Amino acid sequence: MATSKTNRKFDKVLVANRGEIAVRIIQGLKEMGLGTVAVYSEADRTALHVLMADEAVFIGESPATESYLVADRILAAAAETAAGAIHPGYGFLAENGPFSRQVEEAGLIFIGPTAESMEVMGDKLASRRKMRSSGIPVVPGTDEAVTDPEVAVGIAEKIGYPVLLKASAGGGGKGMRIVRESGEMASALRQTMGEARSAFGNDAIFVEKYIEDPKHIEVQVLGDGQGNVIHVFERECSVQRRHQKVIEESPSPSLTPELRMRICEAAVQTAEAIDYRGAGTVEFILAPDGEFYFLEMNTRLQVEHPVTEMVTGTDLVHAMVKIALGEGICYRQEDLRQQGWALEFRLYAEDPGKNFAPSIGRIESMTVPQGPGVRLDTGVYEGYDVPIHYDPMLAKLIVWGEDRQQAIARSRRVLREFTLHGPGHNLPFHLWALEQPSFLDGSYTTHFVENEFDPADWLPKLDDGQAEALVAATALFEALRRSGVKAGTEGRDCSPRNWRLNALRSMTGNK
Amino acid sequence: MKKRYILNYDDNQHGAIVARDGAETMVQVDGGDLTQVNFRPVLNGKAISIRFGGRLHLIHLSNADGNGSVKATISGRPVSLTVMDELRAQALESLGDVTESGTIAADIPGLVVQIKVTVGQVVHKGEPVIVVEAMKMQNELAASTSGTVIEIPVTEGDSVNPGDPLVIIEPEPGV
Repeated sequence: MATSKTNRKFDKVLVANRGEIAVRIIQGLKEMGLGTVAVYSEADRTALHVLMADEAVFIGESPATESYLVADRILAAAAETAAGAIHPGYGFLAENGPFSRQVEEAGLIFIGPTAESMEVMGDKLASRRKMRSSGIPVVPGTDEAVTDPEVAVGIAEKIGYPVLLKASAGGGGKGMRIVRESGEMASALRQTMGEARSAFGNDAIFVEKYIEDPKHIEVQVLGDGQGNVIHVFERECSVQRRHQKVIEESPSPSLTPELRMRICEAAVQTAEAIDYRGAGTVEFILAPDGEFYFLEMNTRLQVEHPVTEMVTGTDLVHAMVKIALGEGICYRQEDLRQQGWALEFRLYAEDPGKNFAPSIGRIESMTVPQGPGVRLDTGVYEGYDVPIHYDPMLAKLIVWGEDRQQAIARSRRVLREFTLHGPGHNLPFHLWALEQPSFLDGSYTTHFVENEFDPADWLPKLDDGQAEALVAATALFEALRRSGVKAGTEGRDCSPRNWRLNALRSMTGNK
Repeated sequence: MKKRYILNYDDNQHGAIVARDGAETMVQVDGGDLTQVNFRPVLNGKAISIRFGGRLHLIHLSNADGNGSVKATISGRPVSLTVMDELRAQALESLGDVTESGTIAADIPGLVVQIKVTVGQVVHKGEPVIVVEAMKMQNELAASTSGTVIEIPVTEGDSVNPGDPLVIIEPEPGV
């Protein structure tokens, strides 16, 4: 332990990521007095993480395969800036064993687990086998990769439909499909393999029993790599679309104190089984009968880590950095408590009414709500062009309340104040979700969206007064805009802002 | 000054009149009374605070294309509107209905990863014809009408932008 302490010093960290998580990590590093290095692709020259870092290094063309996924470019950027450590964020190279090994071989610190931990947990097939042998319950399914639809059909018939096709290298909800009957298998397998190949460079797919009406519960853990592991309680992430989380909360409304204790202990055991180092998340499926099964372990900082931070008063980025510095886990299990309730709403550039299809465009305007219990982790700003090359998540809105009811009421207030013009987005989806009885009573499952969401009738209704005010305001807005254009052509200052202000002054009588 | 507008949103049509009399601005909505309104452009011209029906509304508005396509948000509820002055609305109406298009166009920028049909092939409405990948998601686009594929202006590997035609189908109602 003493040697690891002296060897693991650094004062500058390269953040090998983009978007809101790169911003979040840079913020944490700055708070700790560490230097920050951003990396960026062609499409991200003016991205927020680049603007915030102390230094920024260009690493290649816009597609991630030519920039954020190229280990050598990241390492060259670290060498160029003399960074002593690399924080990978989530996605991209965060769970790539060979990359973390390369980082350590280059004499740098990787802020995360060892390559061995990642390789066991990153390979869903290997992690199933490992957990089964450690006595942790796993979902029934196969332990081998499948490429032939007929073989997949055979397995599915043995364990019973529905089944889930999963990319062994998958994560973040990508590379997964439910198959309910044999006729769907061939096309589902082909599409899942295609997505797995393009997203993870590995098209190994396995088949697992699909648990009906499951809840998705996960437990945050911190390990020091010396066998010490603590948990930072659970999160529930059952509101999903396309198997990707949309709303997360902590605590989970589904756990009794007794079940919470058991599931958190199982998570600690899981991390102990691999001498886990850093921040990680053990995911479980909770079946309607109260049984839970190990699903996977994410060996990284998770998108939804802020809900844990809000209810426990911790800072997981600080904790990860301290572990990487060899200072051990900065919290003691007995000091950690869950206080109040936190909800996270992922802000995606997508159109919920069109099957959640991604949307892009310039952020024309954005009004971010403030007030008690509100946190926004964002990677975008007004005037920013959302690029097509990456995940459509723009930001995360996290809202804390003294209890679940207050957190929900506060979330409604905050979502009504939040305005984003430009790409299509899912903020009104969250307002919709907060009106659904199964969300309000906590009984919602991962089928929440497919069961309750009607793309033809989901947008919050306007009352008559709002509808009239909207029509009046829009007509006024257009009248001002059009009269402004005329003023510009008459030879006055025709910069858009000035003609608009002139027109406004003349119409409202303000001078 | 008196302007008449036709506004459409959520499949509803509304009429509005904006009139100015000296320093006063009057608005009439859907044939109601022409009344003086208290409103104020705020947030650097990006929103209007308007008193209507006995309460204040803060409505964010933007017009990115410079035409009559307006985006608004009221109480967290985004609304897309089209705004036309009355003359233009009348002119468009006289053109009559357009027939269902057989052109499948990209709705988002992306990469053509798979073309599932060939020129001359007969397809049925709803049948997948092309796969476009964007933001790591493969999106299957379906035939918007039944008919014969007459043109495929793209090839696999092409980058496409919204509105680009991908597959053109000659509609044949009998198919």
